[in-house]
Amino acid sequence: MAVELSAFERSPRFSRWLDRRIPPTRRLTLSQQSIFIFPTVTGFLFGGLIVLLIVGAINYQNSLVYGVAFTLGSLFLVTILYTFRNLSGLTIELMSVGTGFVGEDVEFQVRVSRPKGKSREGIQLGWLGAIAQWAELYDSEACSVRLFVRAQRRGWLDPGRLLIETQYPLGLLRAWTWVDLGARALVYPEPLFIDQPDHIARRGEDGELIDPQGSDDFNDMRPYRPGDPVRHVMWRVYARSDQLVVKEYTSYLDPRLMLDFDRVAGGVEERLSRLTGMTLNASRSGREFGLSLPGGKIGPGVGDQHRDSILRALALYGLPQT
Amino acid sequence: MAFLRRNDGAEALGVGYQIPRNSLALLMVAQAVVVLPHARHISFWIVAVGLFCGCWRWMVFQGRWDYPQRWVKALLVAASAIGVGVSGQSVFSLETATGLLIVAFALKLVEMKSRRDAYLVIYLCYFIIAAEFLFDQSIAVAIYGALAMVIVTAAFVGLHQLHTRVSVSTSLRTAAVLVMQAVPLMLVLFLFFPRVAPLWSVPLPGGTRTGISEQIAPGDIAALTRSDEIAFRAVFDGPMPRPRDLYWRGLVYSNFSQGTWSVGAASAAREDRPIYAGDDRGFAPEVSGINALSYQVLLEPTQASWLFALDVAMPASHGTALTRDFRLVADEPVRTTTRYSAWAYPGAAIDPTLPDWLRQRETRLPEDDNPRIVAFAADLASRTDGPEAFLASVLEYIRTEPFFYTLNPPTLSNRGSIDAFWFDSRRGFCSHFAGAFVYLARAVGIPARMIGGYQGGEINPVTGHLVVRQFDAHAWAEVWLEGRGWVRMDPTAAVAPARIESGLDAALSENDRAVLSAVTGRRFDGVPGLRDVLYLFESMEHRWNLWVVGYDTETQARYLADLLGEVTPTRVGLAMLFGGAASLALVVLSLFWRRRPAPDHPAHRIFRRFSRGMARSGLARRPDETPGQFLRRVNAARNRDASEVAPLIDHLDALLYNPDVVCTKTALRSLRSGLRRLQVDVSLRLRS
Repeated sequence: MAVELSAFERSPRFSRWLDRRIPPTRRLTLSQQSIFIFPTVTGFLFGGLIVLLIVGAINYQNSLVYGVAFTLGSLFLVTILYTFRNLSGLTIELMSVGTGFVGEDVEFQVRVSRPKGKSREGIQLGWLGAIAQWAELYDSEACSVRLFVRAQRRGWLDPGRLLIETQYPLGLLRAWTWVDLGARALVYPEPLFIDQPDHIARRGEDGELIDPQGSDDFNDMRPYRPGDPVRHVMWRVYARSDQLVVKEYTSYLDPRLMLDFDRVAGGVEERLSRLTGMTLNASRSGREFGLSLPGGKIGPGVGDQHRDSILRALALYGLPQT
Repeated sequence: MAFLRRNDGAEALGVGYQIPRNSLALLMVAQAVVVLPHARHISFWIVAVGLFCGCWRWMVFQGRWDYPQRWVKALLVAASAIGVGVSGQSVFSLETATGLLIVAFALKLVEMKSRRDAYLVIYLCYFIIAAEFLFDQSIAVAIYGALAMVIVTAAFVGLHQLHTRVSVSTSLRTAAVLVMQAVPLMLVLFLFFPRVAPLWSVPLPGGTRTGISEQIAPGDIAALTRSDEIAFRAVFDGPMPRPRDLYWRGLVYSNFSQGTWSVGAASAAREDRPIYAGDDRGFAPEVSGINALSYQVLLEPTQASWLFALDVAMPASHGTALTRDFRLVADEPVRTTTRYSAWAYPGAAIDPTLPDWLRQRETRLPEDDNPRIVAFAADLASRTDGPEAFLASVLEYIRTEPFFYTLNPPTLSNRGSIDAFWFDSRRGFCSHFAGAFVYLARAVGIPARMIGGYQGGEINPVTGHLVVRQFDAHAWAEVWLEGRGWVRMDPTAAVAPARIESGLDAALSENDRAVLSAVTGRRFDGVPGLRDVLYLFESMEHRWNLWVVGYDTETQARYLADLLGEVTPTRVGLAMLFGGAASLALVVLSLFWRRRPAPDHPAHRIFRRFSRGMARSGLARRPDETPGQFLRRVNAARNRDASEVAPLIDHLDALLYNPDVVCTKTALRSLRSGLRRLQVDVSLRLRS
């Protein structure tokens, strides 16, 4: 079930009014100020059923049919209180916001807690356009709900207001609220992996790190290990000492891989995607790398934090600061 | 309105939405429960179709069968149509309508997949519960209906609970609480909601006619005595007359032919039309100066429009009228338990002067049907002086000659039945004696007629109301005497005075009584205490009829007048508003009332104050952090080793969770100072 807006709620006036009524906050306890309640279609049909029963009771002059109609009518009124109470007093809190790449679902964790005592049931949460999730508050006083939003473009993802809805107990009424938790998730560009991840890496003669797979210079000799190329075996040594010894060759390369925006092909978004792919590859291989963007440079480094700051720079490149 | 979109396309395929299983199970139970009582008045076929559909749905529920194919459903529809057809009830009758409703309901149940289907089935369930009340409004049926409502509501609740945690018992409990919370408001609405007259006429439930009918063949009333069904109950506003005076007049039989007495067809003449309360027409009895008796009757359905009333009756209720022969009639046949009020003017003269057309009707006899009794009458008349002496000597004759009052008189042929009874068998029930008496009177030209109704009744000691049962059915005679009008005469009193004084039981022979007990099964004289229990049940049923079933426009007006003084729309509206608000306030209290929280642990309080202080410094405790985790994080913020905060954490944990550690003032003080030092340290570092 996806959350959708009605024409009325799409109007900018409504959202301005909503901003005044339920201002954005990371943590909100629901009260009558923020809870809306209205009968559902089922509720209106239930009203129709009651009217039908009353007409029947009048025509048949039947007290017990009146009784049935009045019981259903009272049930309706009582469920107004139930449905409202089901949301009232709930505290909604943004716990954590994940990150993701374009095309992925970004995770938001929202914690819903209720006051001690009466349990709550049948509560659903969902961002606009996303799948709604149940909040289980029957046995526990709090639960965290993981909500996912499909990331459409890089940069800050604002899922908008969170819908919290319940139709418990009879589905005759719907109580709901729109909460702005100020949730903002960072969306990285969609990674594009290319065959030669290092084609822009500057190679040099005088680096410090050694590429063990390189084959430029003779470096050392060591005992043969299964899998070594046969042509590296030093047959002369073997002839002398009956030992298999191989030559080791290495290449020297600049260990500081600089990912340079200007050296990648394609349009802006494509370049960012390629750089993202490279960043991920470089980070996976544990190399020191940096990023150079027009108007900014991030020096070489390693580690997840470094990777995230580079991804962040890629995600926000060229976007207005907010 | 924003909404959670329910994908109906997917629901139609049964993939997007699954009705929670417990709700489904409850719905199936509810179906069986609400249909069951209808088995009494709808065609057996329909019940069978319903049960079949229920079983099929159960198999689908179990995952053994698939939903039925279209042809199966077509077959079921055909079977139900045949069922309705062969039931022999009219197409427009209430029974047929209910039957069709139940068929539709059963068929809907079997193909129920989506939430919308479930709603429809639930609404139909409520409707069918209400429909049962059209046929029967007894306490037992009402209690059954209330329970059925809880089950249906439980299925309703189950639809909106999380699949993983709903269980039949929690849904039932929630529904029971909901329904109980709805009861106070329901009562307010029941009392104050204005009861109005029917908007249009509707088919009322048919049923078998019980009680006396428009024709009395000699054995008819005796057959009635085999039933202890309640005919009606009566409540008197003042003291109740003696049982021997309780002649509940219902029907007047003026025609005799082929051994059967029947009512005279009312003529269309203006004079013969009934009069209503307050109407003044020529035949209204003179009642001034007579102490009137006011009473109410709760009449069980008779499917006929006649009512039972004490002499001389005057209508007091809306929709009741007085006929030319001084009977009370209702405008409509009595198809449900009906309440009416009436006045009785004992001793008021009716028809002090008899119009010729009436005299003609009430003295008519079939030509040479019972020649012997006509001769007997002529002979007796010649020996007596005037009608009154003649009638007295007839009664004397019955009293002295060997006549027997019995439930099992010999069967008499239609022709000459009166002769055969009077001279040969001499064994009869009330209608035999009354019939012969009227015949004798008419034979000598005295206007006379047979009256059918009930005589006597039983007083329920619990509520003090009168219960009249079918075995109290009785027939007596009325004769017209110059200057006195119509006078009641009961020849049964001559042959069996006990019948009139203390009821049928006392008048019967030992043998008859045994037969009667075996058939009605109502005499439990041998079982101590049981009689009292039966009286209690009967009085409950009576109060129920009086206050609930019989709560109509009139009763409401009377009750509201007592309650509000003056019945104006404003007052009723306000009363409804306040009553409704008060009853909802009860629900609000029960829903929103929070028990005072248990006193907080002092160590907890100290720690909370510390957390608040840290939050002000920009280091808020996350909701998912334990106190230990938070303290370690705070400690890390001042770049110290975790071991520095470990003793503080141990201390706090011990105070909070170790039941063996006593929470002394010193211990608390050391906790407080430890936390404060940490807080000051971290705040300073954060600020710099």
